[in-house]
Amino acid sequence: MTAEHPLPHRPVPVPDELSAAFWEAAARHVLTLAKCSVCGTLTHPPDVVCDTCGSTDPRFTATPVDGRGVVRSWTVVRQSFLPGFAELLPLVLVDVELVGPELDGQPDVRLVGRLLDGVDAPLAAGSAVRVAFEQVRGDVAVPAFELAGAS
Amino acid sequence: MSMRGRDRVAIVGYAQSPVVRSADRPLGALAVDTARAAIADAGLEPAQVDGFVGATLLPSSGGHAVTDGVSVVSADWLAARLNPNPRYAAGFQGLGQIPGSMAMAVNAVATGAADHVLVHRALHNPRGSYHATSASEFGGPMQWTAPQGFFGPLAMIALTYNEYVQRYGASREALAEVVVEARKNGARLPWSYWSGRPLTTEQYLAEPMLDDPICRFDCDIPVDGVAAFVLTTAERARDLPHRPVHVSGYATGGPPKRRLPAHWPLDDLMAAGAGMAERLWASAGMGLDEIDLLQVYDGFSPLVYLWLEALGRCPVGEAHRYVRDGGIDSDSADGDPVLLSGGSLGNGRMHGVPQLLECYLQVAGRAGERQREGVETALSCHSSPHLGGALIYSAEAHQW
Ligand SMILES: [Zn+2]
Repeated sequence: MTAEHPLPHRPVPVPDELSAAFWEAAARHVLTLAKCSVCGTLTHPPDVVCDTCGSTDPRFTATPVDGRGVVRSWTVVRQSFLPGFAELLPLVLVDVELVGPELDGQPDVRLVGRLLDGVDAPLAAGSAVRVAFEQVRGDVAVPAFELAGAS
Repeated sequence: MSMRGRDRVAIVGYAQSPVVRSADRPLGALAVDTARAAIADAGLEPAQVDGFVGATLLPSSGGHAVTDGVSVVSADWLAARLNPNPRYAAGFQGLGQIPGSMAMAVNAVATGAADHVLVHRALHNPRGSYHATSASEFGGPMQWTAPQGFFGPLAMIALTYNEYVQRYGASREALAEVVVEARKNGARLPWSYWSGRPLTTEQYLAEPMLDDPICRFDCDIPVDGVAAFVLTTAERARDLPHRPVHVSGYATGGPPKRRLPAHWPLDDLMAAGAGMAERLWASAGMGLDEIDLLQVYDGFSPLVYLWLEALGRCPVGEAHRYVRDGGIDSDSADGDPVLLSGGSLGNGRMHGVPQLLECYLQVAGRAGERQREGVETALSCHSSPHLGGALIYSAEAHQW
């Protein structure tokens, strides 16, 4: 139409019965984990059967957590295969183990998302991070992370 | 001796097509020719082959259309063109396609479901970008990763390998030894995509990162190629032209801890890999010290380390030292030639075929200039230790 080519949009999640509550909370910038109503274990993502107690009717509830974690691994992505990411390259992905009293003594929960501090931020195995949210569309936000060392 | 089925079924013939970026004919045509060549190599006629097993995974994340006979070749498709009335035709679903398919074929022969089973693997390089997608939304499992920017196998292996690097201090120079060794051996294979084209350490080290600490040379290149193997009973094998290579045992991996899609935390991988290794030794009734030749999988170069450690070739965290200073050099008298097959890095993305092929050729005494002395037993690894699997072979038939 014109010489201007709008940047492609990043892909958005399609909520389903199991994930809708997670994405509703994420839109409010609240991180939730799925809590099994039978054994109380927190997991991510929710599944049809609870990994911990084996319940086939876990009736997971989206339970807010404070989103603190430690970096277990990371990579600098220099070539993206997804629309909407080209202008963000190079970007850092972090593999984060969530921590907090609500997760003590239960199987670890790990999330992968962007580290929003950029490629030059000091990063090491064990670095403390906290969840942050990227607003990928007016009504859609996805979890990412920020270093929690300062501030 | 054990009452298990070990060494009761043997590989009696094979064929390997040229491995190329884009074949000038449809994959199905290449598969039929390769299957016919394998059957002839075994001294058989197509009408005698009454079992077909294969796997059809097309490992791209680019959402390419899957068409039987064109982008994949199923056991049913191949059977229909070689023996339209087979007694057994089945496909393996899963990541460890070679051990999975071979296990199905071994059991089909051992139980008499079929007399001669053809196992094939046909790999295709789809046109256009292998992994790129224009998807504007993701449902199902990928909703948890793709919108966040975590997508595709490069980021997958980069996270696993960086965890290894950070924990054990592995250097880029060590991984260079792995890739250069695979390409050296692959360059000597007439069928390989990389035939005549070794890689130098300097070339490897100069290559920019794609997903740190992974560069292009750490990943096998997508290709068109087909390999086929014929299996039958140890008794029938005695009357066929080539020295039989008996399947002594096998194991497939998994299921590991449930995670995000394509998320392979190092500890998950190694824990499930240890279980796989235990099942492998139990299945074959032998341990690593009884294996004359080990061939590890290298579709991503760090998997070489993880296999060496999962099988106990070296302690966990030590493989990056094990490969240094000629440790895996096939030309050194002291080297452990774990990439003699050229691997996936030295052949092209043949998904575990090179490791199976090299074990077969060495135990059968058919490896030509690469033939090594005294290879009576061999072990091939495929995919990752937690989702793939391994096979053990023996020159000796089961002792009744
Ligand atoms: Zn539960």
